[in-house]
Amino acid sequence: MSKRRSDWAQRPQARFLRWMREGYGALDDEIISAVAQPAAQRPDAEALEEHDRLIGTHRHEREMALDRLANYDLQRWANTRGRKALTRLYVLLALLLGASLIYFLLDTVAYMPRFGQVAVPTNNEVIARYIEKGLEETGAINIVAGMILDYRAFDTLGESTVLFVAACAVLILLRIDLDDQGQPMQQLIAEGSDDRHYEPKNDRILQGSAMVLTPIILLFGIYVLFNGHLGPGGGFSGGAILSSGLILYLNAFGFQKAGRFFTYKIFMWVSFFSLGFYGVAKAYSFYMGANGLNSGIPLGTPGAILSSGLIMPLNIAVGLVVACTMYIFYALFRKGGL
Amino acid sequence: MLEWLRFILTAGLLISGLIILITAVIGVYKFDYVLNRMHAAAMGDTLGLLFCLLGLTVSAPDLATALKLLLIICFLWVASPVSSHLIARLEVTINPRWQQLPPTPGKDEKEEEDSP
Repeated sequence: MSKRRSDWAQRPQARFLRWMREGYGALDDEIISAVAQPAAQRPDAEALEEHDRLIGTHRHEREMALDRLANYDLQRWANTRGRKALTRLYVLLALLLGASLIYFLLDTVAYMPRFGQVAVPTNNEVIARYIEKGLEETGAINIVAGMILDYRAFDTLGESTVLFVAACAVLILLRIDLDDQGQPMQQLIAEGSDDRHYEPKNDRILQGSAMVLTPIILLFGIYVLFNGHLGPGGGFSGGAILSSGLILYLNAFGFQKAGRFFTYKIFMWVSFFSLGFYGVAKAYSFYMGANGLNSGIPLGTPGAILSSGLIMPLNIAVGLVVACTMYIFYALFRKGGL
Repeated sequence: MLEWLRFILTAGLLISGLIILITAVIGVYKFDYVLNRMHAAAMGDTLGLLFCLLGLTVSAPDLATALKLLLIICFLWVASPVSSHLIARLEVTINPRWQQLPPTPGKDEKEEEDSP
């Protein structure tokens, strides 16, 4: 086997295949003639490498020149007459888009029933259903939580996913890459344009107040999260409060201390598990015809945290996604990384 | 009688709080320099909100609500002066006009780099 493999590259079939695959152009001629020319003395490896490099750069320059030539007319047109024409075209398209949007929206509104009439379906059936059967069907005392996490759960799933995707996009745009030595590249590129070293650091007043306030804020955020099915609150507001507490801690004590408990990895795993749990629970519900997972958690009773079926775990999942996303947004805008 | 007293107290506190808040808003838009504007904004954030919330506390229906409002007052009185302090410190740090002053004694000797 090994013997066959070793001389396979020299065989006519292999050479034919290579020729088919890679083509045979003027460049090969160049290389072959260049290698063949100095027959008087055998070229050493360095000279060959240098030659290859030169051919590479020449080819690159030639392609660039061809590109410029091909683009020249277009660019000249775009810089002179084309600019006016394109500007006019954009204005025209924008006007057209806006006008058609206005027309279609007004057309739709014209077919809608009048707002506030008693006979409108949204005014009697849906609201009555939510109020009368909300507790029984969703298990949530807070009807708003029942609506956004059960009746309209698909919408909430989309919102959480949008948050997660937005965080990923901002991560791609703003993250500062590390170079080979592990140093942030941007710091090497723009040492002078960085204005973050003006910011107050290790401020004792801020640290003292953060030590008092951060636990309270986090506790209140957890309370809002865990109480969303019983009273006002829920995933989005609780997550926002949690992330504001985290951001305060980050501001007071710096990235090193905050990075001890909140890393990029933790962000990814928490977001993944929260969204995954939400998706699984709700996909089951959709698949089974709006019958939720049999969680064993009883219907909502005022004052009992562990009630209301799946509403509380779903609230917690949404809140974790929101908190992680807001925190990582702040970290990325401030520093470009965690 | 007690109801009337309560109403008058609430109204007086709310009105004085609103006056202070209006003053603060006017100050924020009228002043040119950062520290002046910061002073105006901080006054609205602390004193104006204190009066408003005290008025609400007086008119609160039960003790729990009143205590919650007092807690909010404590929170705001910790949070907003600190933010004003941070704005002022940033201004003093970056404005070259304040760089010429002699260094304040005991000012943060161990200033560390917290972020690369």
